Amino acid sequence: MSADDSSLVRCPRCGENGAPGARFCENCGTPLGAPAPDAGAPSEVTLELAPTVVDPDPATGEASNQRPCTACGGTIAPDGYCADCGAPGLSERDHFEERPAGWVAGVCDRGVRHARNEDAMALAAGDSFAALVVCDGVSSAPDSDVASLAASRAARDVLVAYGPQGSSTVQGATSRRVAGWTDAMVAASRAAGQAVRGAAEQLAATKGKDVADDPPSCTFVAAVVDGDVLVAGWLGDSRVYWLPDDGQAEQLSVDDSWAQEMIAAGVPRAQAESSPQAHAITRWLGPDAPDTDARCAATVPTGPGWLLVCSDGLWNYCSDPHAMSELVRRYATTDDPLSTAAALVRWANAQGGRDNITAALARVSPAVTGQR
Amino acid sequence: MAEFSAEVFQNEFLSDGATDVHAVVSVTCAGAGAAGTAGPAGPGGAAEIVAVDTSGSMQGRNMEAAKHAAAVAVDQIPDGTLFAIVGGSHVATRIFPYPNARVPMVAMEPGARAEARRAIATMSASGGTAISTWLRLADELFATAPVANKHLILLTDGKNESEPSAHLDQMIANVTGRFQCDARGVGDRWVVGELRKISTALLGTVDLIARPEDIAEDFAALVRKSAARGVAAVDLRVWAPQGAQVLFVRQVAPEVDDLTARRTEVNPLTGAYPTGAWADETREYHVAVRVPAKPVGSEQLAARVQVAVDGDVTAAGLVKAKWSDDSTLTARISPEVAHYTGQAELASAIQEGLAAKAAGDEATATVKLGRAVQLAAETGNDEATSRLRKIVDVENEAEGTVRLRRNAAKLDEMALDTASTKTTRVRRA
Repeated sequence: MSADDSSLVRCPRCGENGAPGARFCENCGTPLGAPAPDAGAPSEVTLELAPTVVDPDPATGEASNQRPCTACGGTIAPDGYCADCGAPGLSERDHFEERPAGWVAGVCDRGVRHARNEDAMALAAGDSFAALVVCDGVSSAPDSDVASLAASRAARDVLVAYGPQGSSTVQGATSRRVAGWTDAMVAASRAAGQAVRGAAEQLAATKGKDVADDPPSCTFVAAVVDGDVLVAGWLGDSRVYWLPDDGQAEQLSVDDSWAQEMIAAGVPRAQAESSPQAHAITRWLGPDAPDTDARCAATVPTGPGWLLVCSDGLWNYCSDPHAMSELVRRYATTDDPLSTAAALVRWANAQGGRDNITAALARVSPAVTGQR
Repeated sequence: MAEFSAEVFQNEFLSDGATDVHAVVSVTCAGAGAAGTAGPAGPGGAAEIVAVDTSGSMQGRNMEAAKHAAAVAVDQIPDGTLFAIVGGSHVATRIFPYPNARVPMVAMEPGARAEARRAIATMSASGGTAISTWLRLADELFATAPVANKHLILLTDGKNESEPSAHLDQMIANVTGRFQCDARGVGDRWVVGELRKISTALLGTVDLIARPEDIAEDFAALVRKSAARGVAAVDLRVWAPQGAQVLFVRQVAPEVDDLTARRTEVNPLTGAYPTGAWADETREYHVAVRVPAKPVGSEQLAARVQVAVDGDVTAAGLVKAKWSDDSTLTARISPEVAHYTGQAELASAIQEGLAAKAAGDEATATVKLGRAVQLAAETGNDEATSRLRKIVDVENEAEGTVRLRRNAAKLDEMALDTASTKTTRVRRA
């Protein structure tokens, strides 16, 4: 994730010259210098997931069965089910966790009802910087799981490039940094959109699917913690909540959804959210997306709290910011974001797990925010 | 080398909130080989004992038929198999090897066969009946045989009247797991329940031989069957997840045999149920497990049903649970589970009906045997139907309304009782 390549790079897509060490084209967001993902194999296999370290079986070299049971922590037997509780072993794509720093972690889970996990998550963090990206694949389109993972990683890598260790570090006073991160967020969402299109083209090339008819697509939501600044960016209905320990909980993102548009037009919230079309999203990432520029919002916290980035698999069961704040606090028995995120995912599964569930948390504290 | 395979029949879909998972697991053994093919000694070998009732009541046709049958059995025991002949009354006597012989059992060979036939011819009937002494002697003889596959054929014509029944119960408990026993009753003066206690605990069968002249053929068949059981000491293992409860484990084909109480713990989640020795055959088991309900859409492994030979798992079937709100999926009952649930109920309806009839409770007997007639028809068990029709007059088969026949023969009742556990297999499309 560090920019250690100092040579000039030319964008293979638009021809723009990138800055020395740039990992992404400033013009179109295409990753620079990164090898193209393997296009040949089925999507579930080609996805290379880094976050969870798994020791391969010394006898077979296979690691797939060695992941602990996500339900009880037991061992998954060779027949694919937990040896203790009988829960089916989930593939790396169906359930994964990331914990790039002690104060930043997330869990991405298939949920109960869906056959695949089309949610994706990509996190990065340093001492006082964190980038949390969640993309929710649109399940009506095939291979949205591939698209969402590619998108979330592309966006995360762009945000990292703007971070303190990156090539185009956002610097300056609070207001300048808010503006800088707003630009970075748009670059990240464009890169994510480009990654979805790239995934769609590869899938069309390898699987012969008519991508134009039913292209893979996903939502986009990202949050950045940069010292004392929180910036959110989004397309679609995945959300960012800021849940301060003291003070009013708020939803930083504003859904790009039919329900939200109706509310904006004056329809009462209850009526809008109970409509059958309530969940129809009006903006997304994908080959058929009208635009891929994230809308952004920022806040400057005055005290410690939890930053939550999640998909609708979680907030469907707990939409209101105040209720979400109480829920997070119920499970945040320690400052460990991983155990809290895992508890939120378990809670959503216990509510029925009707959708894929992603919960990514950053524990924003004065000690962290004060370092820069 | 024997190969086991397991196939699971179930409807894995459970409705919201449902907890009980039922499955029929069909276990097939192929390539069992013959018992004793590894030679007379060693774990692959076999040992056979024939214990014949020599109490006073056997005097006459029964004794002559039993002696003939024992001789026929000796003819059928393959060379190399360790064997002995026991005569049983209120005491047990080793007939062959002769009581003064220094070896408790001998390997079959032509000379031993001829000598054993001579010994059998000397048997005569006198004394009472104390079956526990027969089992004890058989156990002592088997204990000297360094083989895995040990089989006893036990023949009696009467009630175990020379000892308290607690003696027999205690002896059955003592020898359980050490050898298998098929028990046979000849005539109509023996007690089905007594022999069933022995054969059930010792993983064998109980049957009625109505006519003495049929004993020989039955013994020959038993010896051949035993000799074909090339795989000794097979356990059925059932794993159920943490927090689950195994409701029952029941063999349902070829005969109903409830294994639930015979569980020994392999580990906290896995129980082993002994099934004895296997030939090339298929047996079916009905396993029921109660698991905590999970949200609709969840999947859960409810049981691993495994076949363990000498402690090694050689085959396994997975019993699953998937909660669904689609009633077209959850309402279906697996045809196998339905069929064998009916067959098991048929067996208990017959046994309870006959017990009520023997106790003079005609009302209960009529209801139970009526239900049995209904179940036999529903599950296509024609053999049970024809046996039931010798005991009751059927008014309406579908409704299960019957009248007890006044002139039902004791032998017919015993035949119905002994055959009650035999099941028909489900017809698979």
